[in-house]
Amino acid sequence: MVGRILVWDIPTRVFHGLLVACFGLAWLSAESERLRDIHVLSSYLLLALIGFRLVWGLIGSRYARFAEFVRGPSAVSAYLRGLMQGHPPTYTGHNPAGALAIVALLGLGVASGITGWLAFNEMGGEVVAELHETVANAMLALVFLHILAVVISSRLHGENLVKAMLTGYKSGASGMGIRRAHGGVALVLVTGLAAFGWAMIQGKLPALWDPLSASVVGKSHEEG
Amino acid sequence: MKFLLMLLWALSTPILANTGVAVQIQARLAAEARAADATFQGFSVQRGEAFYRDRHGDWSCATCHTDHPAKGGRHAVTQKAILPLAPSANPERFTDPKKVEKWFKRNCNDVLNRPCTAREKGDFIAYILTVRP
Ligand code: HEC
Ligand code: HEM
Repeated sequence: MVGRILVWDIPTRVFHGLLVACFGLAWLSAESERLRDIHVLSSYLLLALIGFRLVWGLIGSRYARFAEFVRGPSAVSAYLRGLMQGHPPTYTGHNPAGALAIVALLGLGVASGITGWLAFNEMGGEVVAELHETVANAMLALVFLHILAVVISSRLHGENLVKAMLTGYKSGASGMGIRRAHGGVALVLVTGLAAFGWAMIQGKLPALWDPLSASVVGKSHEEG
Repeated sequence: MKFLLMLLWALSTPILANTGVAVQIQARLAAEARAADATFQGFSVQRGEAFYRDRHGDWSCATCHTDHPAKGGRHAVTQKAILPLAPSANPERFTDPKKVEKWFKRNCNDVLNRPCTAREKGDFIAYILTVRP
Protein backbone atom coordinates (compact mmCIF):
# COMPACT_ATOMS: atom_id res chain seq x y z
CA MET A 1 0.00 0.00 0.00
CA VAL A 2 1.35 3.39 -0.96
CA GLY A 3 0.84 6.31 1.41
CA ARG A 4 2.56 9.06 3.38
CA ILE A 5 5.56 7.66 5.19
CA LEU A 6 8.12 9.33 7.43
CA VAL A 7 11.52 9.24 5.73
CA TRP A 8 13.64 12.07 7.20
CA ASP A 9 14.00 12.11 10.97
CA ILE A 10 13.99 15.42 12.85
CA PRO A 11 17.78 15.61 13.46
CA THR A 12 18.41 15.26 9.71
CA ARG A 13 15.91 18.01 8.89
CA VAL A 14 17.17 20.32 11.62
CA PHE A 15 20.73 19.69 10.45
CA HIS A 16 19.76 20.56 6.90
CA GLY A 17 17.99 23.78 7.85
CA LEU A 18 20.79 24.98 10.12
CA LEU A 19 23.42 24.05 7.54
CA VAL A 20 21.66 26.24 4.99
CA ALA A 21 21.45 29.09 7.52
CA CYS A 22 25.10 28.83 8.62
CA PHE A 23 26.39 28.52 5.07
CA GLY A 24 24.35 31.55 4.04
CA LEU A 25 25.64 33.59 6.99
CA ALA A 26 29.24 32.50 6.41
CA TRP A 27 28.90 33.37 2.76
CA LEU A 28 27.32 36.80 3.27
CA SER A 29 29.86 37.80 5.93
CA ALA A 30 32.91 36.47 4.09
CA GLU A 31 34.19 39.63 2.48
CA SER A 32 33.86 42.00 5.39
CA GLU A 33 36.29 42.59 8.24
CA ARG A 34 33.42 44.24 10.12
CA LEU A 35 31.54 40.94 10.03
CA ARG A 36 34.60 38.75 10.59
CA ASP A 37 33.29 37.55 13.98
CA ILE A 38 30.02 36.49 12.38
CA HIS A 39 31.87 34.73 9.59
CA VAL A 40 34.00 32.76 12.02
CA LEU A 41 31.13 32.06 14.42
CA SER A 42 28.75 30.79 11.73
CA SER A 43 31.54 28.72 10.21
CA TYR A 44 32.40 27.03 13.48
CA LEU A 45 28.73 26.21 13.95
CA LEU A 46 28.71 24.84 10.41
CA LEU A 47 31.68 22.62 11.25
CA ALA A 48 29.97 21.42 14.42
CA LEU A 49 26.86 20.62 12.36
CA ILE A 50 28.90 18.58 9.90
CA GLY A 51 30.56 16.78 12.80
CA PHE A 52 27.13 15.87 14.11
CA ARG A 53 25.98 14.71 10.68
CA LEU A 54 28.98 12.42 10.28
CA VAL A 55 28.05 10.70 13.54
CA TRP A 56 24.33 10.63 12.66
CA GLY A 57 25.27 9.07 9.32
CA LEU A 58 26.56 6.10 11.28
CA ILE A 59 24.02 5.75 14.09
CA GLY A 60 20.97 7.65 12.81
CA SER A 61 17.67 6.30 11.52
CA ARG A 62 17.51 4.26 8.33
CA TYR A 63 17.56 6.94 5.61
CA ALA A 64 20.01 9.16 7.47
CA ARG A 65 22.74 6.52 7.32
CA PHE A 66 25.55 6.74 4.81
CA ALA A 67 25.41 2.98 4.38
CA GLU A 68 21.83 3.34 3.14
CA PHE A 69 22.36 6.08 0.57
CA VAL A 70 26.01 6.19 -0.52
CA ARG A 71 26.23 3.95 -3.57
CA GLY A 72 28.82 3.12 -6.20
CA PRO A 73 29.50 4.94 -9.49
CA SER A 74 27.35 2.50 -11.49
CA ALA A 75 24.25 3.35 -9.45
CA VAL A 76 25.02 7.07 -9.86
CA SER A 77 25.42 6.84 -13.62
CA ALA A 78 22.30 4.64 -13.93
CA TYR A 79 20.36 7.27 -11.99
CA LEU A 80 21.75 10.15 -14.07
CA ARG A 81 21.00 8.28 -17.30
CA GLY A 82 17.45 7.75 -16.09
CA LEU A 83 17.26 11.45 -15.23
CA MET A 84 18.30 12.40 -18.78
CA GLN A 85 15.66 10.11 -20.26
CA GLY A 86 13.01 11.59 -18.00
CA HIS A 87 12.28 8.57 -15.82
CA PRO A 88 14.92 8.12 -13.10
CA PRO A 89 14.63 5.07 -10.81
CA THR A 90 12.76 5.82 -7.59
CA TYR A 91 14.46 5.67 -4.21
CA THR A 92 12.68 6.10 -0.90
CA GLY A 93 15.65 7.90 0.66
CA HIS A 94 18.34 9.90 -1.16
CA ASN A 95 18.92 9.02 -4.80
CA PRO A 96 22.53 8.08 -5.72
CA ALA A 97 23.31 11.41 -7.39
CA GLY A 98 21.92 13.36 -4.46
CA ALA A 99 23.99 11.19 -2.14
CA LEU A 100 27.11 12.11 -4.07
CA ALA A 101 26.27 15.80 -3.70
CA ILE A 102 25.74 15.34 0.05
CA VAL A 103 29.10 13.64 0.56
CA ALA A 104 30.85 16.28 -1.57
CA LEU A 105 29.09 19.11 0.30
CA LEU A 106 30.12 17.67 3.67
CA GLY A 107 33.72 17.30 2.41
CA LEU A 108 33.83 20.83 0.99
CA GLY A 109 32.34 22.16 4.22
CA VAL A 110 35.14 20.56 6.21
CA ALA A 111 37.73 21.80 3.69
CA SER A 112 36.31 25.35 3.87
CA GLY A 113 36.48 25.16 7.63
CA ILE A 114 40.08 23.97 7.77
CA THR A 115 41.40 26.43 5.18
CA GLY A 116 39.39 29.23 6.81
CA TRP A 117 40.83 28.42 10.19
CA LEU A 118 44.32 28.47 8.70
CA ALA A 119 43.67 31.80 6.95
CA PHE A 120 42.23 33.25 10.15
CA ASN A 121 45.41 32.33 11.98
CA GLU A 122 47.57 33.56 9.13
CA MET A 123 49.09 30.21 8.41
CA GLY A 124 49.97 29.62 4.78
CA GLY A 125 49.67 33.23 3.61
CA GLU A 126 47.84 34.33 0.48
CA VAL A 127 47.97 30.83 -1.00
CA VAL A 128 45.80 29.46 1.78
CA ALA A 129 43.54 32.54 1.80
CA GLU A 130 42.90 32.03 -1.90
CA LEU A 131 42.45 28.29 -1.50
CA HIS A 132 39.86 29.04 1.18
CA GLU A 133 37.96 31.28 -1.21
CA THR A 134 38.20 28.72 -4.01
CA VAL A 135 36.94 25.84 -1.84
CA ALA A 136 34.06 28.00 -0.58
CA ASN A 137 33.22 29.00 -4.17
CA ALA A 138 33.21 25.33 -5.18
CA MET A 139 30.84 24.62 -2.30
CA LEU A 140 28.50 27.42 -3.41
CA ALA A 141 28.55 26.08 -6.99
CA LEU A 142 27.65 22.63 -5.69
CA VAL A 143 24.86 24.09 -3.55
CA PHE A 144 23.31 25.58 -6.69
CA LEU A 145 23.74 22.31 -8.60
CA HIS A 146 22.15 20.48 -5.66
CA ILE A 147 19.17 22.85 -5.70
CA LEU A 148 18.80 22.52 -9.46
CA ALA A 149 18.92 18.73 -9.24
CA VAL A 150 16.33 18.75 -6.45
CA VAL A 151 13.98 20.84 -8.59
CA ILE A 152 14.44 18.59 -11.62
CA SER A 153 14.08 15.38 -9.60
CA SER A 154 10.95 16.76 -7.93
CA ARG A 155 9.40 17.37 -11.35
CA LEU A 156 10.30 13.96 -12.72
CA HIS A 157 9.24 12.03 -9.62
CA GLY A 158 6.09 14.09 -9.17
CA GLU A 159 7.07 14.65 -5.55
CA ASN A 160 8.06 17.92 -3.89
CA LEU A 161 11.44 17.00 -2.37
CA VAL A 162 11.89 20.40 -0.72
CA LYS A 163 8.64 19.92 1.17
CA ALA A 164 9.76 16.40 2.08
CA MET A 165 12.94 17.80 3.65
CA LEU A 166 10.77 20.21 5.68
CA THR A 167 8.03 17.82 6.81
CA GLY A 168 9.96 14.55 6.70
CA TYR A 169 7.19 12.81 4.73
CA LYS A 170 7.32 11.27 1.25
CA SER A 171 4.99 8.90 -0.51
CA GLY A 172 6.04 5.28 -0.42
CA ALA A 173 5.11 1.73 0.53
CA SER A 174 3.79 1.75 4.07
CA GLY A 175 6.40 -0.65 5.46
CA MET A 176 9.25 1.54 4.22
CA GLY A 177 8.89 4.44 6.66
CA ILE A 178 10.98 5.01 9.76
CA ARG A 179 9.22 4.49 13.06
CA ARG A 180 10.81 7.16 15.20
CA ALA A 181 11.46 10.82 14.43
CA HIS A 182 14.18 11.19 17.11
CA GLY A 183 13.02 14.60 18.29
CA GLY A 184 15.08 14.15 21.46
CA VAL A 185 18.30 13.91 19.47
CA ALA A 186 17.38 17.07 17.57
CA LEU A 187 16.83 18.82 20.90
CA VAL A 188 20.26 17.74 22.09
CA LEU A 189 21.76 18.97 18.81
CA VAL A 190 20.13 22.40 19.01
CA THR A 191 20.94 22.79 22.71
CA GLY A 192 24.55 21.75 22.11
CA LEU A 193 24.95 24.20 19.23
CA ALA A 194 23.37 27.00 21.25
CA ALA A 195 25.75 26.33 24.15
CA PHE A 196 28.73 26.17 21.78
CA GLY A 197 27.73 29.43 20.08
CA TRP A 198 27.09 31.14 23.39
CA ALA A 199 30.46 30.03 24.78
CA MET A 200 32.17 31.46 21.68
CA ILE A 201 30.34 34.78 21.94
CA GLN A 202 31.27 35.02 25.62
CA GLY A 203 34.91 34.41 24.73
CA LYS A 204 34.98 31.17 26.71
CA LEU A 205 36.68 29.30 23.88
CA PRO A 206 39.70 31.52 23.18
CA ALA A 207 41.62 28.67 21.59
CA LEU A 208 39.22 28.81 18.63
CA TRP A 209 39.76 32.52 18.07
CA ASP A 210 43.42 32.97 18.80
CA PRO A 211 45.26 29.74 19.53
CA LEU A 212 48.62 31.48 19.42
CA SER A 213 47.84 34.01 22.13
CA ALA A 214 44.69 32.64 23.69
CA SER A 215 44.53 35.24 26.45
CA VAL A 216 43.62 38.26 24.28
CA VAL A 217 40.33 36.96 23.16
CA GLY A 218 38.40 36.90 26.39
CA LYS A 219 37.78 40.59 25.81
CA SER A 220 36.89 40.14 22.18
CA HIS A 221 34.05 42.65 22.19
CA GLU A 222 35.17 45.42 24.51
CA GLU A 223 36.67 47.84 22.04
CA GLY A 224 35.99 48.54 18.39
CA MET B 1 55.50 66.32 -14.48
CA LYS B 2 54.75 66.51 -10.80
CA PHE B 3 53.84 62.86 -10.98
CA LEU B 4 57.13 61.93 -12.61
CA LEU B 5 59.02 63.82 -9.92
CA MET B 6 57.03 61.97 -7.33
CA LEU B 7 57.91 58.67 -8.97
CA LEU B 8 61.58 59.56 -9.05
CA TRP B 9 61.41 60.63 -5.47
CA ALA B 10 59.68 57.44 -4.41
CA LEU B 11 62.21 55.35 -6.26
CA SER B 12 65.10 57.15 -4.69
CA THR B 13 63.89 57.07 -1.10
CA PRO B 14 66.44 55.24 0.96
CA ILE B 15 64.15 52.47 2.12
CA LEU B 16 65.67 49.07 2.59
CA ALA B 17 62.38 47.52 1.60
CA ASN B 18 61.69 46.81 -2.02
CA THR B 19 59.28 49.54 -3.09
CA GLY B 20 59.41 48.53 -6.75
CA VAL B 21 56.05 46.78 -6.77
CA ALA B 22 54.43 49.63 -4.82
CA VAL B 23 55.65 52.07 -7.47
CA GLN B 24 54.29 49.86 -10.25
CA ILE B 25 50.95 49.73 -8.48
CA GLN B 26 51.03 53.51 -8.18
CA ALA B 27 51.80 53.89 -11.87
CA ARG B 28 48.73 51.83 -12.73
CA LEU B 29 46.61 53.77 -10.24
CA ALA B 30 47.88 57.04 -11.74
CA ALA B 31 46.73 55.96 -15.18
CA GLU B 32 43.32 55.07 -13.75
CA ALA B 33 43.09 58.34 -11.85
CA ARG B 34 43.96 60.30 -14.97
CA ALA B 35 41.35 58.43 -16.96
CA ALA B 36 38.74 59.30 -14.32
CA ASP B 37 39.79 62.94 -14.03
CA ALA B 38 41.77 64.77 -16.70
CA THR B 39 42.93 67.41 -14.21
CA PHE B 40 44.67 64.78 -12.03
CA GLN B 41 47.97 66.24 -10.85
CA GLY B 42 49.69 63.28 -9.20
CA PHE B 43 49.40 61.69 -5.81
CA SER B 44 49.83 63.59 -2.59
CA VAL B 45 51.39 62.40 0.64
CA GLN B 46 49.35 64.97 2.61
CA ARG B 47 46.06 63.86 1.14
CA GLY B 48 47.11 60.25 1.73
CA GLU B 49 47.85 60.91 5.38
CA ALA B 50 44.55 62.75 5.85
CA PHE B 51 42.72 59.89 4.16
CA TYR B 52 44.52 57.41 6.41
CA ARG B 53 43.52 59.26 9.59
CA ASP B 54 40.05 60.60 8.74
CA ARG B 55 37.16 58.75 10.25
CA HIS B 56 34.46 57.89 7.79
CA GLY B 57 31.69 56.99 10.19
CA ASP B 58 33.14 55.16 13.19
CA TRP B 59 36.35 53.84 11.61
CA SER B 60 39.46 55.11 9.87
CA CYS B 61 42.33 53.11 8.39
CA ALA B 62 44.20 53.97 11.59
CA THR B 63 41.58 52.10 13.63
CA CYS B 64 43.29 48.81 12.79
CA HIS B 65 46.63 49.94 11.35
CA THR B 66 47.32 52.42 14.23
CA ASP B 67 48.17 56.12 14.16
CA HIS B 68 51.66 55.23 13.07
CA PRO B 69 51.50 52.55 10.35
CA ALA B 70 55.06 51.42 11.02
CA LYS B 71 53.74 49.94 14.24
CA GLY B 72 51.88 46.65 14.55
CA GLY B 73 48.11 47.09 14.67
CA ARG B 74 45.13 45.32 16.17
CA HIS B 75 41.97 44.22 14.40
CA ALA B 76 39.07 46.28 15.77
CA VAL B 77 36.66 43.33 15.68
CA THR B 78 38.64 40.15 16.30
CA GLN B 79 41.42 41.79 18.35
CA LYS B 80 43.98 39.82 16.37
CA ALA B 81 47.44 41.34 15.88
CA ILE B 82 48.16 42.92 12.48
CA LEU B 83 51.75 43.33 11.27
CA PRO B 84 52.88 46.88 10.39
CA LEU B 85 51.56 48.28 7.11
CA ALA B 86 54.54 50.47 6.23
CA PRO B 87 57.11 48.73 4.03
CA SER B 88 59.87 50.43 6.03
CA ALA B 89 58.83 48.26 8.98
CA ASN B 90 57.48 45.26 7.09
CA PRO B 91 59.15 44.59 3.71
CA GLU B 92 56.40 42.10 2.76
CA ARG B 93 53.90 44.93 2.32
CA PHE B 94 52.96 46.12 -1.19
CA THR B 95 54.91 43.32 -2.85
CA ASP B 96 51.87 41.36 -4.10
CA PRO B 97 49.53 43.49 -6.28
CA LYS B 98 46.70 40.96 -5.99
CA LYS B 99 46.86 41.00 -2.22
CA VAL B 100 47.00 44.81 -2.15
CA GLU B 101 43.93 45.07 -4.39
CA LYS B 102 42.05 42.49 -2.34
CA TRP B 103 42.62 44.39 0.91
CA PHE B 104 41.88 47.79 -0.63
CA LYS B 105 38.59 46.38 -1.85
CA ARG B 106 37.76 44.82 1.50
CA ASN B 107 39.03 47.54 3.87
CA CYS B 108 37.60 50.42 1.85
CA ASN B 109 34.19 48.77 2.08
CA ASP B 110 34.72 48.21 5.80
CA VAL B 111 35.64 51.84 6.47
CA LEU B 112 33.96 53.94 3.74
CA ASN B 113 31.18 51.59 2.78
CA ARG B 114 32.24 52.01 -0.84
CA PRO B 115 35.28 51.18 -2.97
CA CYS B 116 38.18 53.65 -2.86
CA THR B 117 38.94 55.69 -5.95
CA ALA B 118 42.25 55.22 -7.75
CA ARG B 119 43.36 58.60 -6.42
CA GLU B 120 42.58 57.68 -2.83
CA LYS B 121 44.53 54.45 -3.18
CA GLY B 122 47.51 56.17 -4.83
CA ASP B 123 47.56 58.91 -2.17
CA PHE B 124 47.38 56.24 0.51
CA ILE B 125 50.40 54.37 -0.90
CA ALA B 126 52.31 57.64 -1.35
CA TYR B 127 51.81 58.34 2.34
CA ILE B 128 52.59 54.80 3.51
CA LEU B 129 55.89 54.84 1.61
CA THR B 130 57.04 57.92 3.52
CA VAL B 131 56.40 56.45 6.97
CA ARG B 132 59.60 55.71 8.86
CA PRO B 133 59.80 53.34 11.84
C1 HEC C 1 39.04 46.13 10.59
C2 HEC C 1 40.44 46.40 10.60
C3 HEC C 1 41.04 47.13 9.40
C4 HEC C 1 40.78 48.40 8.97
C5 HEC C 1 39.80 49.40 9.58
C6 HEC C 1 41.62 48.63 7.84
N1 HEC C 1 42.38 47.52 7.59
FE1 HEC C 1 43.73 47.29 6.08
N2 HEC C 1 44.10 45.39 6.69
C7 HEC C 1 43.49 44.75 7.74
C8 HEC C 1 43.97 43.39 7.82
C9 HEC C 1 43.52 42.34 8.83
C10 HEC C 1 44.92 43.25 6.78
C11 HEC C 1 45.72 42.00 6.42
C12 HEC C 1 46.80 41.88 7.42
C13 HEC C 1 47.98 41.07 7.00
O1 HEC C 1 48.15 40.76 5.83
O2 HEC C 1 48.79 40.83 7.92
C14 HEC C 1 44.97 44.52 6.09
C15 HEC C 1 45.79 44.77 5.01
C16 HEC C 1 45.74 45.91 4.25
C17 HEC C 1 46.49 46.10 3.03
C18 HEC C 1 47.42 45.08 2.38
C19 HEC C 1 48.85 45.50 2.37
C20 HEC C 1 49.79 44.42 1.93
O3 HEC C 1 50.40 44.54 0.88
O4 HEC C 1 49.91 43.42 2.67
C21 HEC C 1 46.13 47.34 2.54
C22 HEC C 1 46.61 47.98 1.25
C23 HEC C 1 45.19 47.91 3.49
N3 HEC C 1 44.99 47.03 4.51
C24 HEC C 1 44.63 49.17 3.34
C25 HEC C 1 43.71 49.70 4.23
C26 HEC C 1 43.05 50.98 4.02
C27 HEC C 1 43.24 51.87 2.82
C28 HEC C 1 42.24 51.18 5.09
C29 HEC C 1 41.31 52.38 5.36
C30 HEC C 1 40.38 52.70 4.31
C31 HEC C 1 42.35 50.01 5.95
N4 HEC C 1 43.26 49.13 5.39
C32 HEC C 1 41.64 49.81 7.10
C33 HEC C 1 42.57 45.29 8.62
C34 HEC C 1 42.05 46.57 8.52
C1 HEM D 1 32.87 26.50 6.56
C2 HEM D 1 32.39 27.34 5.69
C3 HEM D 1 33.08 28.59 5.24
C4 HEM D 1 32.73 29.28 4.12
C5 HEM D 1 31.63 28.91 3.14
C6 HEM D 1 33.62 30.41 4.00
C7 HEM D 1 33.60 31.35 2.97
C8 HEM D 1 34.56 32.31 2.75
C9 HEM D 1 34.76 33.09 1.55
C10 HEM D 1 33.93 32.97 0.28
C11 HEM D 1 35.80 33.95 1.75
C12 HEM D 1 36.41 34.90 0.71
C13 HEM D 1 35.93 36.30 0.86
C14 HEM D 1 36.45 37.15 -0.27
O1 HEM D 1 37.62 37.57 -0.21
O2 HEM D 1 35.70 37.37 -1.23
C15 HEM D 1 36.26 33.76 3.10
C16 HEM D 1 37.29 34.47 3.69
C17 HEM D 1 37.73 34.26 4.99
N1 HEM D 1 37.26 33.29 5.88
FE1 HEM D 1 35.89 31.86 5.49
N2 HEM D 1 34.48 30.42 5.08
C18 HEM D 1 34.19 29.32 5.88
C19 HEM D 1 34.84 28.97 7.05
C20 HEM D 1 35.76 29.78 7.74
C21 HEM D 1 36.31 29.48 9.06
C22 HEM D 1 36.02 28.23 9.91
C23 HEM D 1 37.13 30.55 9.37
C24 HEM D 1 37.97 30.84 10.62
C25 HEM D 1 37.99 30.12 11.69
C26 HEM D 1 37.11 31.47 8.26
C27 HEM D 1 37.82 32.64 8.18
C28 HEM D 1 37.97 33.43 7.06
C29 HEM D 1 38.92 34.52 6.93
C30 HEM D 1 39.90 35.02 8.01
C31 HEM D 1 38.78 35.04 5.63
C32 HEM D 1 39.62 36.15 5.00
C33 HEM D 1 40.86 35.49 4.45
C34 HEM D 1 41.81 36.46 3.76
O3 HEM D 1 41.44 36.96 2.71
O4 HEM D 1 42.91 36.66 4.28
N3 HEM D 1 36.25 30.98 7.29
N4 HEM D 1 35.50 32.74 3.68
